[in-house]
Amino acid sequence: MTLTRREIMGGGGGLAAALSLSSLAVWGGEIVEIKMQGNEDGSHVWFDPIGILIKPGQTIRWINLNPGNSHTTTAYNPANFERPLRMPKAAKSWDSDYLLPNESFSVTFTEQGVYDYFCIPHEHAGMVGRIIVGEPEMHGWTELVGTNGDLPEVALKAFPMVEDILTKGIVRRT
Amino acid sequence: MKELVLAVALTTGSSLCAMAADQVTKAPPAAPYEQVSKLVKLPDFLPGMGQLFVDPTTLPAGPFLAYDHDGKLVSTIYMLPTKDLNPDKRFDDLASPGGNVDHVDVYYNAGHPGVEEPHVHVVLWHVAAPDEARVAK
Repeated sequence: MTLTRREIMGGGGGLAAALSLSSLAVWGGEIVEIKMQGNEDGSHVWFDPIGILIKPGQTIRWINLNPGNSHTTTAYNPANFERPLRMPKAAKSWDSDYLLPNESFSVTFTEQGVYDYFCIPHEHAGMVGRIIVGEPEMHGWTELVGTNGDLPEVALKAFPMVEDILTKGIVRRT
Repeated sequence: MKELVLAVALTTGSSLCAMAADQVTKAPPAAPYEQVSKLVKLPDFLPGMGQLFVDPTTLPAGPFLAYDHDGKLVSTIYMLPTKDLNPDKRFDDLASPGGNVDHVDVYYNAGHPGVEEPHVHVVLWHVAAPDEARVAK
């Protein structure tokens, strides 16, 4: 199958500050993969990992590994269907559009902060994810996460806590 | 006389059903049905369901007609949004355009293009349970 890879550059500020590498695994490679997955009858869908800590300049690649469904990775940003802003204001929004099985989509993050995103057809099923770009230290970023807006309750409950992501580096669905 | 009228009506009704079923037993079904994967971005063959066709004007509920790899009808599927399963809404007189129903499955689905919200699949299987394997992969 031909892979479709659409890449955009996320983040507008271009913070190039040198950061000391931590022992967290995700800081080792340049490209981090997030799988879009679902079970056989489509009753459960999810991003794996659901929460991840990366450093500025790293690229996230989402890949749809669900043979029976299409998924999107779509930033919470007014640019996307007027969804509430849940990412740094200076960073560029993204929307992959629907990815068929084995298609992928990449975004490079340069602006530090907390980024929340969702899957368009599955937001009401709680298919959301959170990316933190920056150092594995507390920055009061919990407060920077946008207002709850009109997010479905199931989506709000699904977000991993900022503190957990900063502590563990990778948070998987429980 | 009443019995005769009833018999004629039943015969006519079952003939119409048979004619309708004949028109959909092989893929592609006649218009207004359209291939779902050409209407929305979904794989052409969905594991567990098959190749789907729907009359777009009936979305999101359907009926969706599902075919196996040989183009034979295996099921008719209704997709009912969970938010519509409430005291103020009903789904009445849902047809079975594929004809006889062998058995029915009902299960939750998180959503997909075309029905972008959690919903329930009501699957009217026109084949025996072991033959569901024809659309398993």
